Amino acid sequence: MNLTRRGFMKATGAAFATSMAFQLTQQSPALAVESNSDWKLVNTEEYTNICCYCAGGCGSLLSVRDGELINLEGDPDHPINQGGLCPKGAAMFQLRNIVDPETREVIKNPDRVTKPMVRRPGASEWEDITWEDAVKEIARKVKDTRDATFEETDKNGLTVNRTPAIASLGGSQENSEEEYLILKMMRSLGVIAIDNQARV
Amino acid sequence: MTSHWCDFQNTDVILHCGSNSVENHPVSSLWLGKAHDRGAKWIVVDPRYTRTAEQADIYCPIRSGTDIAFYGGMYHWIIENLIDPNLEKYLATGEMGDYNYEYLLNYTNASYLLDPEFDFDPETGLYSGWDEKTKTYSNHSWHYQTEKEENWDTSASGDYAWVKKDGVPEFTTPTLTLPKRDMTLQDPMCVYQQVKKHYERYTLDAVCDICGMDKETLELVYSTYGSTAKPGRAGMVLYALGQTQHSYGAQNTRAMCVMQLLLGNIGIPGGGVNALRGEPNVQGATDMGMMVNEHPAYLKWANTTDRSSLRKWLESQTYSAGYYTNKPKFIVSSLKEWFGDAATVENDYGYDWWPKVPSEKGDQDYTHISTFELMKQGVIKGYFNWGMNPCHSAPNAGNVRRSMANLDWLVVADQVETESAAFWKAPDMNPAEIQTTVYFLPCALIYEKPGTILNSGRWLQWRYQAVEPWDQAKPDLEMCDLLWTEICRLYKEEGGANPAPILNTKWDYYVNGKIDFRPVSWALNGYRTANSDFKAGKVDLLKGYSELGADGSTSCAMWIYSGFYNNNDAPLDPAQQPIGRRDNNDKSGLGLNSNWAFSWPSNRRILYNRNSCDTKGKPWNPDKKLMEWDGSKWDLVDQGDFVSAKNGQQVPPNNNTFFMLWEQNARLESYGMEDGPMPEHYEPFESPFDNALNGSQNNPMIKFTEYESTAHGGTDEYPIIATTYSVTEHWQTGGQSRSCPALVEAMPSQFCEMSEEFAAEKGIKPGDKVRVWNKRGSVVVDAYVTKRLKPFTIHGKTQHQVGLTHHFGWTHLYGTGDTVNDLTPNVGDPNTMVPEYKAFLVNIEKA
Amino acid sequence: MTEMAILYDTSLCTNCKGCQVACKVWNNLPSPIGTNENKFSGSLQNPADLNGNTRLIQTFQERDAVRGQKPVDWIFNRRSCQHCTEAPCATVCPAGAITKDEDTGFVHVDDSKCVGCHYCEGVCPFDVPRYRTEGIRDYVNKCTGCPDRVAQGMDPACVSTCQPNALRFGPRDEMLELAQERLEILKGRGYEDAEIYGVNEMGGLHVISVLKYGREATGLPANPSAPATVGMTRVMKPITGVVTGLTVVGLAAMFALGVGYKRDKLVYNPETEDTVSLITGDVVKHGDAQDEKSIKEHILENHPFGIGKGGSDE
Repeated sequence: MNLTRRGFMKATGAAFATSMAFQLTQQSPALAVESNSDWKLVNTEEYTNICCYCAGGCGSLLSVRDGELINLEGDPDHPINQGGLCPKGAAMFQLRNIVDPETREVIKNPDRVTKPMVRRPGASEWEDITWEDAVKEIARKVKDTRDATFEETDKNGLTVNRTPAIASLGGSQENSEEEYLILKMMRSLGVIAIDNQARV
Repeated sequence: MTSHWCDFQNTDVILHCGSNSVENHPVSSLWLGKAHDRGAKWIVVDPRYTRTAEQADIYCPIRSGTDIAFYGGMYHWIIENLIDPNLEKYLATGEMGDYNYEYLLNYTNASYLLDPEFDFDPETGLYSGWDEKTKTYSNHSWHYQTEKEENWDTSASGDYAWVKKDGVPEFTTPTLTLPKRDMTLQDPMCVYQQVKKHYERYTLDAVCDICGMDKETLELVYSTYGSTAKPGRAGMVLYALGQTQHSYGAQNTRAMCVMQLLLGNIGIPGGGVNALRGEPNVQGATDMGMMVNEHPAYLKWANTTDRSSLRKWLESQTYSAGYYTNKPKFIVSSLKEWFGDAATVENDYGYDWWPKVPSEKGDQDYTHISTFELMKQGVIKGYFNWGMNPCHSAPNAGNVRRSMANLDWLVVADQVETESAAFWKAPDMNPAEIQTTVYFLPCALIYEKPGTILNSGRWLQWRYQAVEPWDQAKPDLEMCDLLWTEICRLYKEEGGANPAPILNTKWDYYVNGKIDFRPVSWALNGYRTANSDFKAGKVDLLKGYSELGADGSTSCAMWIYSGFYNNNDAPLDPAQQPIGRRDNNDKSGLGLNSNWAFSWPSNRRILYNRNSCDTKGKPWNPDKKLMEWDGSKWDLVDQGDFVSAKNGQQVPPNNNTFFMLWEQNARLESYGMEDGPMPEHYEPFESPFDNALNGSQNNPMIKFTEYESTAHGGTDEYPIIATTYSVTEHWQTGGQSRSCPALVEAMPSQFCEMSEEFAAEKGIKPGDKVRVWNKRGSVVVDAYVTKRLKPFTIHGKTQHQVGLTHHFGWTHLYGTGDTVNDLTPNVGDPNTMVPEYKAFLVNIEKA
Repeated sequence: MTEMAILYDTSLCTNCKGCQVACKVWNNLPSPIGTNENKFSGSLQNPADLNGNTRLIQTFQERDAVRGQKPVDWIFNRRSCQHCTEAPCATVCPAGAITKDEDTGFVHVDDSKCVGCHYCEGVCPFDVPRYRTEGIRDYVNKCTGCPDRVAQGMDPACVSTCQPNALRFGPRDEMLELAQERLEILKGRGYEDAEIYGVNEMGGLHVISVLKYGREATGLPANPSAPATVGMTRVMKPITGVVTGLTVVGLAAMFALGVGYKRDKLVYNPETEDTVSLITGDVVKHGDAQDEKSIKEHILENHPFGIGKGGSDE
């Protein structure tokens, strides 16, 4: 196995990426300790990921310090994008954190929703809900809907084991392992109205 | 893509048609630029002059929705100028000159004789086999004439001995019908002669008149792209939604295949038919078969007709020759992974637990567009949206939100409040009247979870989790597990409508008691059933799909991925798996990057690559060698997409170069399409013009026009052609990109792009707001007046076309706007049910 | 380190704005976040111009094609600091906020030293420096050349992110050679007006541009130059901060920090003891212009919020 410097591995030393960031891998770790507190990426660990926009499959390189994302840019080792990222890719950092124009501080992106919510019939606002309650309620609704509409056989007596009453849409935003579990869950429930972004 | 991103550099002529890759797949610019710098010619055919067009050498405008006329004209041009003049000489001398006759004759079905009943009538615009009552075709007359038949040898020493093994479900093996051929291409019923006859109507003048092109430019495009017919030269076509989002989008795609086959451009470096997929893992979702009729890995899902039992599935799906003779291995292994120990040969490996999709003629359709009609009718009551936002992205979006208001419940898994999650808050909705319970489940960002993702070049790459999700956000994997666990608990405790399919489903993807991506990767890769026990953390991964059996001895959810995660020494470490490879030293010199990650199938980088060599196994272009037969063995630079060895023996070159088809030759004419064996020009659902090439205005099989909601608008009220597209700075419904302040700043709103001539006619100035409307909806957007769109002259008449971007909606903090998809028609293609976003009619006024 | 340069090739550039965004992200520069606070400019060029938080924008111009098969010329350009060898902004900067890196030739900015005098704005032949207001103070904002990244062996953020390789970074002579190669390719494709920009302009720029359509069409000054007064201001010593400036530069600093203070920028020429308009070179006041007021008094006098004159402490 060829573990390059961007081999996702957590750095053993705190300063792995300090000035190593764009140097060659096998250099002495001593290089890495050259510390400059002004340096944005001081004491960061690097992880590789793949862009979330078009299907170019561009590699990204994430610098993380104390569990928080410090920087995201193109993975210079990646053979497709060779370190480059388009504006959307270059802004992926902002999906999580943005700079507040008032304070100029990096803050959590307020446009993101990070708590489960429910909107009750007739309501004009969301309510908070716990994961536990949301899961219980959804499972109950799925079961009630399935039980009320399930067709074990069709008009010709053919075993069909399906419900026409539940639909599932999406998957192209998920990783493949997630796609498989979504599909498996839906099909095993008897769902036939399954589609994803490939349909449009 | 049949090719991959880094292969763009190897081309001699780039053809963008129906794609604007420089803007919408920006990384393409690096690889296209390399080709360009090496002297490649670059052609852009597009309704407007895009950022891609600015890079190109030749720009040819085209009226939206007339691609088949353009391609048909190209076939006609190729036949008249390249094939026919020297065909006799080639047959006599073997001299090829500027055209690759060897490819056409030996690797395509050009020489195959079609059924004598095969016909097309330009008066009606219909092929033989049309049934007016059901508005569908019988494809009987689109098949070949049979020379002779052969049956499988299932004896102990035969190629198909595995059929008789214990545990293999019983089925009648298929019969290979070898087609009659005329290698001189003179028989009037041979595919070549039928293609030639069919496209005689597609003259330069006819094409220019329909597409709104200028003849000189068109000829320049044809001759430039036609230059790739010469053996050793390569041309690649790059396409995207500009081709697929039409009521004949699948035929557009076939049209490109036919063009590439006529030019010998498939399976060679720098060639191919390259779909530029637009979502990060839409390749994966397509592979996964997350669609009504599809099954993972390009198999077909259970239905009520030809796939109503496992036996029927095996008999209808198993090919008589080529690699798909192995389909029984794929489906049994899939069932085995799905149902685990509960799947046995006695119960057909649990096949009947799978839901069967209604498939008799006239049965209800359940695809995307139809689901909203089913919500209206109260049939669909519950809806899951996984990172998809139909209230914004689906055609006729106003109809979508009104339909969704009929749901009992909706679950949205996303990272922002999408328009779908908040459909009840839309400006034209009254929440008090909407009884839907909506759950919003906050998801992890891409770098807040690990997992496999595929790019458009079929590369599987691993994402490493960099940070923890914020607050209570979770990966969808975890959401699925929570829901599934609870659903199973309810069925175990309470019973209910047939719990068997649920309770027999294998769901054991845990590491240390916690749901985990890696065991799911094992399932996708495949494993030997006997030696694997996920609960005990034990797995015996398969090296690749050649190890699959049809006897229940192997489990595999995605046969095409097999080999991507196959290192038994470190099953929990993706970095030590083929998907985790990071060696970017490319030894091929062609950018194959075979040691970077993994490409399906079997780490093959260029599909159909056997076509890169002549019939003797020598590369057409020795400088761009994917493989070569040296007289005794194959030297493979890329993984061979053909049978190069059998039973340990090298197999000398033959003409079975497309071995994923039973013919093992590619189809210029195909009986596999619903709406015709060869692409034929029809007008969009809404068009200002009559079809000038045949008597059928629209695709005779256009889908969903019976739904009232499609609200057809005529030219009198809606004289302007509109199309939709994206900008580099935003993406799809803006769920992610509108969440990034730097992107909203770089493109703050959506616009209607229009010519200076049209703007002057309507008194519209740059920066004005304009109202764009039709019978489906009305939106107000910014006006973008540009020289880069020009009025078309079609059949002697001036015709305006505008373009609309579509990334904004009523939710989000930083940028909002009207929903442009309120305007697009919810009609679709009969093969794919893909909507026609790319050509429709509107009217426009200064707002 | 040797003299460095960014090579910008307008013909490889797809105007995707990756650079524009990467600059913001790396440098933690905010974008407006009020709902629909950003306005459409009428074209793809957004924001329409540089501003106090935007150091780089990509520009779009279109015209009917001058020659060739294609109907339109869509002219792309990068609008940002050109990093002049003879950088007037650094020359006039009284506070040492804008400085020349004598090794690389890049013009760095340390906005913590900026006194908000806006002098650099007036002298830049490319109209690049902009100011942002924070509290009562203005701070200069312009491309720094990412010296932090360069010091770590990385390319500037805009260059790193550029997908089509339209931006490169390296020793200036290598970039000039590359530019020449690119120019020849463009000429070969029939772009007769193509040229290289930045070889000698302003003593040589450290952003070398390969212009597909030539300087005029691209909207770059044919012969960029600094106002004549810039030469005069050379005699003034740069100051390092507001406080030390008090006794050193007199009038030069008296306009510092004036929020919304839009009068013509004035400079003081100690040789003639004249006060001169920076832009026009007109003498606005003869004789000894040193005045008795403290800088702070001047600042507060001109303060738009009318904070009490004379100040209260310091």
